[in-house]
Amino acid sequence: MKLNIEGLLVYFPYDYIYPEQYSYMLELKRTLDAKGHGVLEMPSGTGKTISLLSLIVAYQKAYPLEVTKLVYCSRTVPEIEKVVEELRKLMDYYAKQTGVKNDFLALALSSRKNLCIHPEVSSLRFGKEVDGKCHSLTASYIRAQHHSNPSQPVCQFFEEFDAVGRQVPIPPGIYNLDDLKDFGRRKGWCPYFLARYAILHANIVVYSYHYLLDPKIADLVSKELAKKSVVVFDEAHNIDNVCIDSMSVNITRRTLDRCQTNVETLQNTISRIKETDAAKLREEYRRLVEGLKEANVARETDIYLSNPVLPDEILQEAVPGSIRTAEHFVGFIKRFLEYLKARLRIHHVVQESAPQFLKDIYEKVCIDRKPLRFCAERLRSLLRTLEIADIADFSAITLISHFATLVSTYSKGFTIIIEPFEDRTPTIANPVLHFSCMDPSIAIKPVFGRFQSVIITSGTLSPLDIYPRILDFRPVTMASFTMTLARTCLCPLIVGRGNDQVAMTSKFETREDFAVIRNYGNLLLEMSAIVPDGIVAFFTSYIYMENIVASWYEQGILENIQRNKLIFIETQDAAETSMALEKYQEACENGRGAILLSVARGKVSEGIDFVHHFGRAVIMFGVPYVYTQSRILKARLEYLRDQFQIRENDFLTFDAMRHAAQCVGRAIRGKTDYGLMIFADKRYARADKRGKLPRWIQEHLTDGSLNLTIDETVQLSKHFLRQMAQPFRRVTTRTFLSLFNDLNQA
Amino acid sequence: MDEEPERAKRWEGGYERTWEVLKEDESGSLKATVEDILFQAKRKRVFESHGQVRLGMMRHLFVIIDSSRSMEDHDLKPNRLTSTLKLMEYFVEEYFDQNPISQIGIITTKNKRAEKLTDLAGNPKKHIAALKKAVDSTCVGEPSLYNSLNLAMQTLKHMPAHTSKEILVVFSSLTTCDPANIYELIKTLNGLKIRVSVIGLSAEVRVCTILTRETGGSYNVILDESHFKELLILHVKPPPASSSSECSLIRMGFPQHAIASMSDQDAKPSFSMSHLDSAGEPELTLGGYYCPQCRAKYTELPVECKVCGLTLVSAPHLARSFHHLFPLEAFQETPLEEYEAERFCEACQGELKDKSVFTCLACKKVFCVECDLFIHDTLHCCPGCMQTDRMS
Repeated sequence: MKLNIEGLLVYFPYDYIYPEQYSYMLELKRTLDAKGHGVLEMPSGTGKTISLLSLIVAYQKAYPLEVTKLVYCSRTVPEIEKVVEELRKLMDYYAKQTGVKNDFLALALSSRKNLCIHPEVSSLRFGKEVDGKCHSLTASYIRAQHHSNPSQPVCQFFEEFDAVGRQVPIPPGIYNLDDLKDFGRRKGWCPYFLARYAILHANIVVYSYHYLLDPKIADLVSKELAKKSVVVFDEAHNIDNVCIDSMSVNITRRTLDRCQTNVETLQNTISRIKETDAAKLREEYRRLVEGLKEANVARETDIYLSNPVLPDEILQEAVPGSIRTAEHFVGFIKRFLEYLKARLRIHHVVQESAPQFLKDIYEKVCIDRKPLRFCAERLRSLLRTLEIADIADFSAITLISHFATLVSTYSKGFTIIIEPFEDRTPTIANPVLHFSCMDPSIAIKPVFGRFQSVIITSGTLSPLDIYPRILDFRPVTMASFTMTLARTCLCPLIVGRGNDQVAMTSKFETREDFAVIRNYGNLLLEMSAIVPDGIVAFFTSYIYMENIVASWYEQGILENIQRNKLIFIETQDAAETSMALEKYQEACENGRGAILLSVARGKVSEGIDFVHHFGRAVIMFGVPYVYTQSRILKARLEYLRDQFQIRENDFLTFDAMRHAAQCVGRAIRGKTDYGLMIFADKRYARADKRGKLPRWIQEHLTDGSLNLTIDETVQLSKHFLRQMAQPFRRVTTRTFLSLFNDLNQA
Repeated sequence: MDEEPERAKRWEGGYERTWEVLKEDESGSLKATVEDILFQAKRKRVFESHGQVRLGMMRHLFVIIDSSRSMEDHDLKPNRLTSTLKLMEYFVEEYFDQNPISQIGIITTKNKRAEKLTDLAGNPKKHIAALKKAVDSTCVGEPSLYNSLNLAMQTLKHMPAHTSKEILVVFSSLTTCDPANIYELIKTLNGLKIRVSVIGLSAEVRVCTILTRETGGSYNVILDESHFKELLILHVKPPPASSSSECSLIRMGFPQHAIASMSDQDAKPSFSMSHLDSAGEPELTLGGYYCPQCRAKYTELPVECKVCGLTLVSAPHLARSFHHLFPLEAFQETPLEEYEAERFCEACQGELKDKSVFTCLACKKVFCVECDLFIHDTLHCCPGCMQTDRMS
């Protein structure tokens, strides 16, 4: 259908549209008009992706000079594929309606592991291996050697691409990962490099967050993206953590050991090269004297996305003399390494700021701030000069060099915590140096600064105002949309008490209480008897889950539950978990019924959807607060309070509630779906918690469903499940929608 | 219907939010909504006229009754099992009333096993007796959907192709304990053209959804006891026959009822053939139905002759299933305000007071709600049309 959105003609590939999709597009259009950033919340299953795509594509077609590119960032490969499929539908619809052949180029980009078509390389199992192997076949000096010595293996796909691929533009169309591979195979070109090259002139790029947020990757892939792009972060409720993770460095003793070997390899290579090819090292020296002028010119002319790891100042200067020659630099790294080792040899926890660390390092081993800053760049240059093929081996030393650069560049927003052991196992020495980023805005700043419009969207972004604060940007639109439903297909209930009136809560003081654990067990038992097929239960942490399950076993509750349903448990082991998931789904499918016990913030809570019968009920045992005793978290809370005036408690609640919302949101993945959402903790009934749930859940949370007992919950759930099992006619929704469409038809 | 279903005590029932449906009008009165609710209750009838569709008149139906642990739940009074069995008795009677030339069989499942309560047979009495006896059985363990479907299938697959083969499952549990992959069985059932319908007593279970969708049956979940009854009644009506089922002529016998009194000297008391397999004492009776082919005596119809295998029915039986083939078309509903003729009902001659009136499309006569229900549910022909037919 065709829509008129404030004067913009939008083609929408479906026959009907939900009202919330329409208002979503309206807000989006206003954001693009204002050339600003936006925060938009809309529940999953309402067609967020297609609304986004159809509006932005329409905008691109209408104003080709205003918006040149759409960069769509999603989290996982399946999600990326889904987006591309929606896009394909949209483009087919365009072609059918307008009769003009599609002239848009849209493509998905993923890692080498997902795109490689080289028979040997693509058979490797791990991403890192693939990257390393690929590099050893495609690095420039390898190829130079190949010229003189044809027996040196190279990747013929890359050679082919390099020879002709750059001149011939990839024909317009929609390419998902498989399409790219097919195209690559047909032409004999490397799909990975083809895609990386093609994103520069593609109209739509779909890839993972990390290509934009992780400075190491962004620098390689995304720095040449045009300024007039619209960037969309989908499923962005965790974007602050992604930002922080991409800037944080954890150094363990193992890292240092591997780094040591790296240094030795470097040293050997240097001495070997010195004998054979001293000129090469001299050439590098000369280049370093010239400095990083080139990069500087590029940044000033605003060609590239700036890289937070490469601070502005060092572009102006030449690499300092003390690390200019290869041997000196290796010596420098060695000293730095020894210092770190010494720091890890402690018996108590140390927390210090970056300036403190720098002062200490200067006093102890006379390492200045300035050369530290150049560490990352210097190492990269060295690796290039030494023609080291397998970069993957050098991840340890690269990590250290990043740490060196970051610690000397940012005096604010980071903290250094050295812990001699893990809290859970105080007897086993396992020293870790956390160089932890506390300010997510550092990583995302270049993105906001560079691109015309950045849209942050997800099913759960409530409360909306906190995201602009922690990411430090000013949005022009912030909006939250709800679901229009033909029937109330979600039923949030807050269970606060057991049948014995003992309050149910995972509060620290009472969580070991026998009565609380028993009541939680009874709740699950009762629910297992009335909910069909699958139930997903979330606990606040692995330890808590283990304790409770052990206790249930002793009390015989587990046995009773197993009469109704099979029980599966998520563990920290990925293989075990995926096995459990598979069996869980099988049990739901063939009518046996199953319960999946899992953990909020775990793998299950984030990436896996429990559509229809795979999740008829979600039970959230307790409020999933983060582990508040963690020093990293404490440091971050302090920073948030000092810098952004966000109270600790506010942030903790916000964080807990967004995870709770994510967990319960797993069950409702569309309008035909239905599910119970049970919050088993009396604290959810409080206004400060309840108010932080997404609007589309809050709407259905009446006063009558607060602080229930288990009995009342069972009654309400039974009633709800019976109601939902009545035949559902789509016709009724459709008539309402077509009525709505008549009003808005272009 | 003279017997009202037993109302549960208010405190035993679920939380009903009766106040939520009530809405005040502008003057703050509740009258309008209350009237509306009453009207809706009257009109609670399922419009499902198939038009001119071939219906499977000869039905072979297996009813599978779940007797697992979950049947002891008290949400139906006094518990699910008793309530279900009671409704089943009613269902069996209605079933034979409407489908006199069909057969029914009952299977129960508990403790992961399935057992036959009664075999496929055309006599309601035997089934009802078996159902009455089953009330005292205990409910244990899990049901097995696979085993019970398999058991039903073993019998049904030998039935001739012109009959409609059906299974109705009353499923209370939310789990099933199966010895093999049930999806294979569903495929087989589909291949044998056996239609499986499910009435769920607690909630929608995925495997039942698939089962009914694949085999072309219906799947419903009850809301309460009266809804349960309503859903069961839906299954009384024969389903549309699948187009691929073959047509064939069926031999049937219409035995005469020979009446003899004690005073008649020629009359000799004799045993009925139907007593052959019954456990009770055989009785000597005077009169009865005699098979036109072999002269075997039976005391009641319909029955399959034990001697020659002929289906024995009476003409009214056949006539009774006739209306399924030509159902009376639904009357047109018009609001009372728009209706401008004399306001009285053609059938009961009472004044038209309800919100809507109903007009027969053929004779244009007008009826009230109650008469409309009576005509469609019981009478199966329009009194207005009959009158005009006779006059012409």
